Amino acid sequence: MALLLFIYVSIGAFIGLSIYRACQYAKMPLHGRWELYPVPKEPGERGHYGGSYYEELEYWTKPRKVSHMGEMKEMLKEMLFIKNLFVNQKRQWYLSYSLHLGIYLLGLWTVLLLAGAIVELTGTPIVAVNTSPVAAIIYYLTLYAGLAGVALLTIGSGGLVIKRIVNNVFSKYTTPQEYFNLLFLFAVALSGLVVWSVDPAFNYGREIFKGLITFSPITTNAALTVHIVLLGALMIYIPQTKMSHYVGKYFAFHKVLWENEPNLRNSKMEAKVKENLSYKPSTMWSAPHIHHHGTAAPEKK
Amino acid sequence: MDNIKPQDMGKTSDVLVRPEKLMPLPAPYDKPGMEPEFKPVKDTWKEDFCTSLDGFVGNDTLARPKTKEEEQEMIKKFLSGLDKLFSDQTNRGYLQPLALSFEYCAKCNTCSEACHTFKSSGETEIYRPIFRSEVLRKIYRKHKNGDSLVNRFIGGDIDLNIETILRLGELAYRCNLCRRCAQTCPLGLDNGLLAREIRKIFSMEMGIAPKPLHEKGTVNQLKIGSSTGLNKAALLDVIEFIEEDMYDKTGKEYKIPMDKKGADILLTHNAGEFLAWPENPAAFAIIFEEAGLNWTLSSEMIGYDNVNYGLFYDDAQAKKIGIQQFKAARDLGVRKIVIGECGHAHKAATVSMDRNVAGEDNIPRESFLPLLQDLIRKKAIKQDPSRNNFPVTLHDPCNMARMMGLIMPQREIINTICPQFREMTPNGAQNYCCGGGSGFAIMNSFNFPEFRNKIASRMKFKQILNAFQDTIEDPETPKYVCAPCSNCKGAIRDILDYYETTAKFNVHYGGLVELVVNAMPQFERPFLDFLDEEAGMM
Ligand code: SF4
Ligand code: SF4
Repeated sequence: MALLLFIYVSIGAFIGLSIYRACQYAKMPLHGRWELYPVPKEPGERGHYGGSYYEELEYWTKPRKVSHMGEMKEMLKEMLFIKNLFVNQKRQWYLSYSLHLGIYLLGLWTVLLLAGAIVELTGTPIVAVNTSPVAAIIYYLTLYAGLAGVALLTIGSGGLVIKRIVNNVFSKYTTPQEYFNLLFLFAVALSGLVVWSVDPAFNYGREIFKGLITFSPITTNAALTVHIVLLGALMIYIPQTKMSHYVGKYFAFHKVLWENEPNLRNSKMEAKVKENLSYKPSTMWSAPHIHHHGTAAPEKK
Repeated sequence: MDNIKPQDMGKTSDVLVRPEKLMPLPAPYDKPGMEPEFKPVKDTWKEDFCTSLDGFVGNDTLARPKTKEEEQEMIKKFLSGLDKLFSDQTNRGYLQPLALSFEYCAKCNTCSEACHTFKSSGETEIYRPIFRSEVLRKIYRKHKNGDSLVNRFIGGDIDLNIETILRLGELAYRCNLCRRCAQTCPLGLDNGLLAREIRKIFSMEMGIAPKPLHEKGTVNQLKIGSSTGLNKAALLDVIEFIEEDMYDKTGKEYKIPMDKKGADILLTHNAGEFLAWPENPAAFAIIFEEAGLNWTLSSEMIGYDNVNYGLFYDDAQAKKIGIQQFKAARDLGVRKIVIGECGHAHKAATVSMDRNVAGEDNIPRESFLPLLQDLIRKKAIKQDPSRNNFPVTLHDPCNMARMMGLIMPQREIINTICPQFREMTPNGAQNYCCGGGSGFAIMNSFNFPEFRNKIASRMKFKQILNAFQDTIEDPETPKYVCAPCSNCKGAIRDILDYYETTAKFNVHYGGLVELVVNAMPQFERPFLDFLDEEAGMM
C-alpha cells in the first residue's frame, strides 16, 4: 500500500510542481519587449523570412493580423521534433532526440497502460490473441510504444552521458548535477528494462494502474519495486530542476521571443503598460546616476 | 592558459587567453601581410585596468582596485547587483526573460556556431556564447550556496574573487548583443540578454560603464541634448551648413524645416549623422521635400538625437532618454515619429521603449523604410537606376532585421534602384552583426578598436569581400556597402580603413537614402562623393 501511495504522491508532485513552476513564470511582471525574428505568428511569408508589421506603412492604422496557426505549427515542430537543434546541430540532435522521443513514447505507453487497465477492469483481458480488436490493438501498441520508448531513452540518456564525458567542449560545461540527471534517466530506463525482461507484455504496468484506479494494493517483486521507486523519485525531481524545460520552453518562445504585441493607443496592452508604470518598487539600484530623478544624470567626478 | 573553462576566470594569470588563429579571410586578404597584427598590451594598462581577460580593454571605467578593502567592496557591490537582477522590484522589465535564459541552458552548444565573435576569433573559448553565461551562473550559485557540497553538485565551482569580477566586467563587452545565437537555441534562450544583464550590474549598481556609452553617451545626452555633445545652437549651425552643402550638390535651395508645430512627421536622426555623415540628413531632406511631405526636425532637448545608448547597458538611462524623446514629439504636436537611419534608435523607439510610454506621449513611431518604399512605389520621387550602376551590397542592421522584423522594404528599394545589387550571405533576419553592435562602434579606448576590427567585425568583413569577389581586385570599379544605420556605418568605416579596403580596392560605404538621391535624374552631379569628380577635386 505504501508503494501505491508513493505512486499517487509522485504523479501529484509532478503535475503540481510543474504547474507551480509555470505559475511562478506567469506571474512575473510584464517585461519589456524582447522579441526575436522570425516570429511565426506574423502571418504568411513574414512568419518565415522574419518580417513583422513594422514593414507596413503606418501599421497602427491597419488591423493587426496574427497567425495563431503559424505559432502553433512552429511550437509543435519544436516540441515534437526539436527543430532548432535538427537545423543547427544535427549531430547532437540524434542523441537528444532519441532521449526525448523515448520520453514521448513512454508517455504514450503510460496512457495505453491506463487504457488497458480500464479495459481489463471491464472484464476483457489485454492479451496478444484476443477476440476484442480494441484489446488487441492496446496490447500491441503498448508493447511497441513501451519497448521503443525504453530503448530510445536508454540510448539517448546513456549516449549523452558518454558524449558529455568524452567530448572536451561538452565536459567543461557539464556540472555534476547534469551528469546525475542523465544518469538518473538512464537508471530508470535500465530498471524498466530489467522488469520488462521477465514481463515482456508490460502486464505489471496494467496491474499498477488497476491498483491506482481501484485503490487496491499492488504486488511487486524486488526489481519492480526498485523501478517504481526510481521512476517516482524522478517524477518528483524533474519539475524542481531544469529538466522542467517543457515549462521554460513555452515561456521562452511564446512569452518572450515571439511576443511582439504593440502598445497602441487605448489598447489593452496600453492599459497593462499604464498599470505597470504606476508600480512603485520597494528598492532601487545603487549607482549614483540612478538616484537622480531629473532628466539629467549627475556628472561623474 | 590552454583548455580554458569558466572556472578559470578567477585564476591569477597575466592573461587568460590571447586570440591567435583568427578565421581566415577571403581574397585578397588571404595573402600574408594583408592584415595588421595585434599590438602589444601596455604595462600601464595592466596595472590600472583589466587586461587579464584577453589583453583588450573595452570597459575603460573598470579600474583595478588598489587595496584589499577596495577589492572586497567591489565584490560586495557586484553581488548586491546580482541579487537585484533577480528581484521583481529592481529588474521588473527583464526578470522573466532573464530567469528563463539563466535557468534552462542544456549546454548543447548549438548557439556557438551562430556567434560571429566566437567563429571569427578562431573559436576562442571565452567568446563562446555560453562561456559568459556559465560564469554568471557559477557566481550566482556560489553566492547563494557558499562552499557547500550542494554548491559543487549544482556547478557553483568558481572563485568569487576580484579577478573573476573584473574579467566578467570585460567579457560583458565582448558580445555585440546581436542575439544571433538566440535564434538557434532549441530552448529559446538568449546569451546576448545575459551579457546585457551583466553590463547592467556593473552600470546600475557599481556605476561602471564604458565612458563612450555612459559619461560621454547617455549622461551627455540627458545634460546637453545629444551624446555627440552637440547642443541646440551648434545643431542649428550644422543644419545651415547642410543646407549650403545641399545647394552645392544639387543646385537647388532646400530648407530643412525645424520645430514646425503640427507637422505630420517628426524625423529623428542619430546626431552622429549631422557631424560625421551630414550627407545622410541631407539626403532625407531632399527626398522628403521632393515628395512634398509635411515634416520637421526638432531642435529641442534630445528631440534631435534619436540614439539611446541606455539600451546597451543601463535600463534607467534608457528609460529617461526614451521618455524625453517622446516628449519632444508630443511638444511639437506631430502625428508620428519617423526614425532615420539608425538601427538601435529604431529598436529603442519602436520596441524597447514601447512599454515605457502611455497616454499622450504614446505617439505612433515607425521606421523610415516603409515610408521610403511607399514613395518609390508611388514614384513620388524620380529614380534613374543607371546612375547607381556599380556593385552594391546590403548590410542588415541587427536591430532592424532580427529585432524588429524589417527585412523586405530595403530590399525592394535597393533592387529597384541598384542594377548590380547582390546579397551578402547570410542576410535578412539571419544576418551577421557588423561588429559595432551594442556600443562597440563608438568604443575606441585603449586597444579596443583592435578587438573590434580584427575579431568582432571580421565576419562582416568576410561577407563584404565575398559579396564583391567578382570585382574586388579591380580598383577601377567602385563598390558600395549600403548600411542603413549610423553605428553599422561607423563599424564598416573602420574596417574599410583598418584593412585599407577603400584605398586599395575602391570599396565604399554609406546609407540607403544616399543611393536614392544619387539615382535622382534631375541632379547633374552625383550625390555620392566617390562618383563625383568635382567633389574629388575639392
Ligand atoms: S549575442 Fe551575438 S555576439 Fe553575443 S554571444 Fe550571441 S551571437 Fe555572439
Ligand atoms: S543553444 Fe541554448 S540550450 Fe544550447 S547551449 Fe546555447 S543557450 Fe544553452
